[in-house]
Amino acid sequence: MDPPIYYSKAEFIETDTGNKVSRRATIAGPQNIILGGKTIIASGAIIRGDLRRSGPGHAVVISLGRYCLIGEGCIMRPPYKTYRGAFNYYPMKIGDHVHIGANSVVEAATIGNNVEIGKNCIIGKFTIIKDCAKIADNTIIPPNTVVPALALFAGSPGRFVEDLPESTQEIVEAYTKQYYTRFQPLDR
Amino acid sequence: MTPSVQYHCPCLASAPVPPPPHLPSSSYSFHPLHTLFFCEECDAIRCNRCVSVEVSTYYCPNCLFEVPSASVRAEKNRCARNCFMCPNCRNTLTVVASDPPDTGDGRLTVPVSTVGEPPFYLYCNHCRWDSAEVGIVFEKPTGLAAQLQRYEDSAPDSLEFDRLKEHFEPFLRAASLPSSLSSSMAHPGSVVHPSSAAHSHHLHSSSITAAASAALARDIPGVGKYTPSLARSTSARAGRDRSVNKDEMAEYRSRLDITNASVVGGGGGDADVEFIKRVEKISSVASLEQRWGNSWATSLRTRDIRPQRIPLHSKRSKRCPVCTHILIKPEQKAQSVRYKIKLVAANYLPAITVALPHTFPTPETVKRGLGKPASASAANDRSNVALHPGESYSFHLALTNPLYDPIQVRLATPRVHATSSSSGTQEKARRPPFGVSIPTSTFTVAAFAEAWEYDEDEEMYWTDEEEFGGVGSNRGSRNKEGKSKAKAKSVGVLEKRANTTIVGGEVIIGKEARGRLKFIMLVQYTYRSDDPVPSESGEGGGADTKASTNKAPETKTFEFYTVIDLGEIIPTKLDGDPDG
Repeated sequence: MDPPIYYSKAEFIETDTGNKVSRRATIAGPQNIILGGKTIIASGAIIRGDLRRSGPGHAVVISLGRYCLIGEGCIMRPPYKTYRGAFNYYPMKIGDHVHIGANSVVEAATIGNNVEIGKNCIIGKFTIIKDCAKIADNTIIPPNTVVPALALFAGSPGRFVEDLPESTQEIVEAYTKQYYTRFQPLDR
Repeated sequence: MTPSVQYHCPCLASAPVPPPPHLPSSSYSFHPLHTLFFCEECDAIRCNRCVSVEVSTYYCPNCLFEVPSASVRAEKNRCARNCFMCPNCRNTLTVVASDPPDTGDGRLTVPVSTVGEPPFYLYCNHCRWDSAEVGIVFEKPTGLAAQLQRYEDSAPDSLEFDRLKEHFEPFLRAASLPSSLSSSMAHPGSVVHPSSAAHSHHLHSSSITAAASAALARDIPGVGKYTPSLARSTSARAGRDRSVNKDEMAEYRSRLDITNASVVGGGGGDADVEFIKRVEKISSVASLEQRWGNSWATSLRTRDIRPQRIPLHSKRSKRCPVCTHILIKPEQKAQSVRYKIKLVAANYLPAITVALPHTFPTPETVKRGLGKPASASAANDRSNVALHPGESYSFHLALTNPLYDPIQVRLATPRVHATSSSSGTQEKARRPPFGVSIPTSTFTVAAFAEAWEYDEDEEMYWTDEEEFGGVGSNRGSRNKEGKSKAKAKSVGVLEKRANTTIVGGEVIIGKEARGRLKFIMLVQYTYRSDDPVPSESGEGGGADTKASTNKAPETKTFEFYTVIDLGEIIPTKLDGDPDG
């Protein structure tokens, strides 16, 4: 029922699994990034897959599930800290049906399934966001925060506002799937 | 603001007809579909305002530890592990170690211990407050709440509370014993029946409140005597005497006299006046927000506020208020988002979404937008959402069927404006500022099939007239049937795909119309019932459901009200002009 969201066909690369990645997005270290399928990376997004854990071998830096959206101008950067005198980056894992609004900066350690993050948010280092949580627009989540399941966080610093309804999982799943089908190419 | 649809829960209304939507108070009766529940037993919609709620699990929102309900009270509803709130910004505090000792060669040493060097502090990642400011340091980074226990136990509020508890303890024990006995005698052999449990609880609490009111009613020199209205009746003397005899409450003496509380850092009094006189920075006075989470009046000084343990959260199960059947029962695990029982209205009622097609971006405008870099989103924005007086607009209603059987739907727009008595006479006299026409005949919404069937084929839909010609529909109020082009038709069934049917409606806005364009829509739908005998369904749920007797015995009809909000009516620029 909602109108399609058109994008220029020339701008996006579509993979075999249905991921749509903008050519205007900066994808650093793509060999360290996993996209689950049907995930959209909008133009201007920056994904830092190059900030990997030191040491030899292959390392997954950022993994995204299915039906995710990385909004325009988002920055996805793996969290880092100095532990026992050694500086290191740590992997970032994001579940299915996660939408991240435009111009948000995400340094979370874990984001669960069916999470909505609004526009202009800052998600601090090592934040853990559980399933079906929601971060309102313009929220600052300080480092090491835990956002429990089905909670709405808002403000600066982000604080618990209310519990989300029991059917949040279905709503978000339907919305993210619908968003993917609405996201249609337009030839020029 | 995009157009929205909200559903009516009849719990607040005495009549089954919802309140007129232009009254501000009506928003309490209308809810988004996904927040509503559905009681199968009563065959009725339930909302968060009317369900009864029980706590099923307590957990800490920070460490996600599930606290057994036995220890919740002992730990005063707060996390008893390592979770503290910043007194300044209420953010979660983290434990940090001290810097490693300086070796003198100017280089950072590699710490030997995994946890770092003692002493440890609580540190706020957001506002940089640290607990050394208020003199709290820890020898080890675990079990912080236990390490702070002595501070907390010596706080005046917890001492006073303990004293109160001690004071009421013998009375509580005496009061709870006979009442629980009597309630179990009343229902011999019955397992914990909710009503009996509630009854005994009620008895219990009423004797506590009686004691509390007795304590409140005692004479305080210099304070006017408070007499409850009950005691003012003719039996006041006897009633008071009886309660005194029964309760045998000694007079409670508080630990701390309120007149000198401010001297020891409590609220109010000369000490605070002295402090306020000497204030140099506004930030040195604690804001109301920083103080009101405390159970005791605290000092006005920001630097006196201590970190508090994080209050626990709970998962709740919900019951129907009428038949006490469980509507929501979450899984025990705190962070699971699954439910053992989940009777939400979205699984029973057709989901309705509304859209104004004139606000949709056309491919042409998008194309123009895509020409410029980084403005794709702007082109996709619904820029032209305003509704102007004196115009007519068509709108689309999409009804999605959650049931596994097809449903027959009938829509109606009852005139709630005109019949409402509360909105005054001048309101009555005036014609509604807009007219709505929607298809009034019955149409079908196809059954919901498993999700995987539609997962990939969203593009496949059909607008074939023959598909729904057999239903005998499309006799809309403004008859535009028989048009060969589906485009020209604005009222009637527009499109069917999968389990969604889109119907068109039209609204004509009067020249004088202002405010939000909201109207009530009654939705009636008939579905195949699993119950062979739908006789008693009318009793539990009230008037909004009835078994259809004139149709096949296996069908049932359910009806509910919705309010459709199409958006704000914005006067056109030529508003001063008499022509509009």
